[in-house]
Amino acid sequence: MEAETDPLATDQLLAENQQLRASIAELEEQLSAQSARTNEIVAQTQERIYWLDRWHIDLDKLVRVPGVSQGRALLRAIRAPFRLLKKAARKLP
Amino acid sequence: MTSVSVVVPVKNGGELLSEVLQAIVREQPDQLIVIDSGSSDGSAELAETIGAQVIRIEAAEFGHGRTRNAAAEAATGELVFFLTQDATPVAGWLAAYLAAFATDERVGAAFGPHLPRPGSSPTIARELDQFFGGFSRSGEVTVQAAADEAGWHPGFLSNVNAAYRRAVLLDVGFRDVKYAEDQAFAGDLFAAGWLKAFVPGAAVLHSHSYSQLGFIQRYFDEYRGLRQTVGHVEALAPLSAAKKIGRLVAADERWLAQSGGSAAERIRLLPSSTAHHAGRHIGAVLGSRADRLPASLQRSLSLEARDGVVRNDRESAVVRGKPIAAQRERELFYEMLDLDGESGTPLLDPTPGMSERERLHIAVVIPSFRTGSGGHDTIFRIFQKIEQLGHSCSIWLADPMQRMKGEWPAVIRRRIRDEFVEIDAPVYKGFDDWFGADVVLATSWQTVAPVLQLPDCRARAYFVQDHEPGFSPTSAESIWAEDSYRKGLFAICASPWLAQLMRERYSASASVFQLGVDSGVYYPRQVERQPKTIAFYGRAATPRRAVPLGMLALAELHRRHRDLRIVIYGDRHPLESTFPYEYLGVASQEQLATLYSEATVGLCLSVTNYSRAPQEMMACGLPCVDLAGFSAESVFGKDGPVALSEFSPKAIAGHIEQLLQDQELWNERSQAGIEFAARHSWGAAAVEVEAGLRAALREQETAGRQA
Repeated sequence: MEAETDPLATDQLLAENQQLRASIAELEEQLSAQSARTNEIVAQTQERIYWLDRWHIDLDKLVRVPGVSQGRALLRAIRAPFRLLKKAARKLP
Repeated sequence: MTSVSVVVPVKNGGELLSEVLQAIVREQPDQLIVIDSGSSDGSAELAETIGAQVIRIEAAEFGHGRTRNAAAEAATGELVFFLTQDATPVAGWLAAYLAAFATDERVGAAFGPHLPRPGSSPTIARELDQFFGGFSRSGEVTVQAAADEAGWHPGFLSNVNAAYRRAVLLDVGFRDVKYAEDQAFAGDLFAAGWLKAFVPGAAVLHSHSYSQLGFIQRYFDEYRGLRQTVGHVEALAPLSAAKKIGRLVAADERWLAQSGGSAAERIRLLPSSTAHHAGRHIGAVLGSRADRLPASLQRSLSLEARDGVVRNDRESAVVRGKPIAAQRERELFYEMLDLDGESGTPLLDPTPGMSERERLHIAVVIPSFRTGSGGHDTIFRIFQKIEQLGHSCSIWLADPMQRMKGEWPAVIRRRIRDEFVEIDAPVYKGFDDWFGADVVLATSWQTVAPVLQLPDCRARAYFVQDHEPGFSPTSAESIWAEDSYRKGLFAICASPWLAQLMRERYSASASVFQLGVDSGVYYPRQVERQPKTIAFYGRAATPRRAVPLGMLALAELHRRHRDLRIVIYGDRHPLESTFPYEYLGVASQEQLATLYSEATVGLCLSVTNYSRAPQEMMACGLPCVDLAGFSAESVFGKDGPVALSEFSPKAIAGHIEQLLQDQELWNERSQAGIEFAARHSWGAAAVEVEAGLRAALREQETAGRQA
C-alpha cells in the first residue's frame, strides 16, 4: 500500500526549495558583481601604475628604505610654508 | 650521553696549536685525534703530550676531503667535530653543538661562528661579525634544508669549526677535492635529505692576519676551490667591482664607527680596507680562472704553493667531469612535477543554473608571449569580445621559465593593449592573488598543470587552437602535450577537425569555434589586382605550415610560367630557392591586406589545424589554395571557397595554375571567399566560445546532479 503524501507538506517543500534557489541565484549574482568590480579596480590601478611597473618601482618597498619616509616628511615640511603662502595669496583680492 | 671525537688536521701548527689543543681538552671530548701530515716543528709530539691520539701521514697523502674521511673512520664518537689548527674553541663550544644535535635528529652537520682574535683588523672583525651574524639574528640555533633556499648563505659550511654525525660522514663523505670540500659536502648533505644547523654558541677564535699579498693568495686558493667544487666563476666586471669595493669600505667604516672607533682610526682604515677588498676581488677573479694560468704562476699566487694540477695520486683514479653550477631557479617544466600522479584541486560544488547565469567570471591562463604571437592574438581578440558580451575576464600569466621576468603586470597589460587588442581585463603574473573563477581556461599544454591546481573554480576548460603534440618530434614535451588533453578539461576547439580529434583520440568533451577575421583590416583595398602574382605564407620557422612542400610547388609553377611574380612572407629570414621571388619578411597587417588585395592567388598550407591566413586572404577577395586531408575541409567544406589540394607539389601547382588561367573560377572563388569571411567575425567566434564555456559549466552541473 502506497504511503499517502501530505499535499500541504509537498507544497511547503517546493516553496522552500524555490526560495533557496532564488537565494543562491542572488548570492551568485553578488559574487559575480564583486569579481567584476575587483577586475575593474585592478585594471584601473594597473593603468595608473604603468610607469611605476615600467621602471620597476615598488612603492611599498621604497617607503621601507631607511631615510625615505624622513626625506618625504622633510620635503613636505619645506613645501608647507610655500603652500600656505600660495593659499593666502589666492585669498587676497 | 652522546660521545664526541674531535679531529684537528695539523701541519707545523706553530704557536697557536698548544692553545687550541688545550682549549679542546677543557671541553672534555671522548676522543681527540690529531692528523699530522709531516710537521717539522714538533707539532705531533706536542699533541701527544697533551693527550691526543696522533695519526701520522706523509705530506703528499694529505687532502682536505680524503684526510678528513680517513679521520672519520678512525673516530669512535657518534659525533665528529673538525677544527683547524688555528681555531680555538671558546668555553661551552662542545656543549652548544651537543644541544643542537639533540634538538633535531635530522640535523646531519652543524657549524659555529668564527670570532676575531684580539688585535684583528676592523675589516676582518666586521666581516666575521656580519657574516656569521647573518645566520642567526636572534642568537638561536637556525637550520638550513637546501643550498638554494631563501636566507643567508644557506649552502655555507666550514671545516674550520664544524660538527657531523659520524654515520652521516661515513655515508655522504667529503669529496676528494683540493679545497672547499666542506661547501661541496653541504650540497651532498642536502641531497641526501639531511639538515644543517648554525650553532651560535659553538664559537671559535679564528681570524687571519695576512699581508695584503697573503690575502690575495688566500682568496686565490679559496676561489680556485670554489671553481673546482661548484663551478663558480667570479665576474671581472670592473665597474660593478669598484662599486662593490666602495660599499664594503663604507661598511667597514660604519662598523668601526658603531664599535666606538675614533675619527682618526676611521680615516686610517680607509686605505687598508680598500686594499683588502680590492685584493680579494683580484684573488677571486684569478682563482676562479686558475685553470687558464700556467702552473708556475698558480704556485706563485697560491698561499699553499700548489699549482692545482691533478697528479697521479689516488684522485686520478676517480673519473670527474667538469663541475657545472646550478643555473636555474627551477627545472624546466617543473610544474609537471607538481602534477605528477595528481588529478588536481577539486572543483567547487555546482550550483543550479550556473551555466545560464548572465555574467560569468572567466580566468584565462596564458603562457608567455612575444610581439606578433598569432595564438595570443586569437585569445585576446576572442576574450575582448567575450567582455563585450557582458562577462568579466582576468588574464593570468603562467611563466615558469621566467621569459617575461623583467615585465611587471601593468606593463604586460599595456603590451597586450598596444600590440594586440584593448582588453579591459586586469593582468596577473603568477597565481599569488588568485581569487577563483566560474571557468578557468588553459590556453596551451603548459598552462594545464597550473589550471588543474587552482582552487575555487566551478569548471575548467581548455582553449585548443591546435594539436600541440604535433609541434615537436616525439619527446617529453609531445607526450605531456598529449596527456594534457586527457585531464578532463572541456575542450573549446578552433575547428570541427580539432574537436573530433579531442573526442575520438582523447575522449574529451569538446565544442567548436571558428577563427574570425578582422574586417576593419582585411577587406578588398582600392589597389589594382596584379596579374600572375602569388602570395605564399612561407613561415619556415613553423614546420606545420609545410613550407618545403610550398616551395616545391612554386618551383614547379615557375618552371611552367617564367613570368610569375612570387611574394613570400611570414619568416624573419629569406628562404633559399631555385626561383626568384620578393621577400616581405614578417609583414604588418596593413601590408598583408594590401598584398592580398593585389595578388592573384594565395598559398597557405597547414598540416595540423588551419591558419588564419586563408580567411584573411579571402576577406580581401584573394582566392587561395590549402591542403586537403587535414583540418581545412572541416572549416571550408570540400568544395568551398578554398581550393583544397592533395599533398603533392604538382597538384598544388595545378590548383594555382587553374586559378591563374580560369577567370570565371577565380571570380567565383573570390566572391565565395568574401562571403565566407563576412560570416566569420571575431564576434561570432566569441559567441561560439561563450557557448563552450557554458557547456563546460553545464557538464559540471549534470555531473553534480548525477552524483
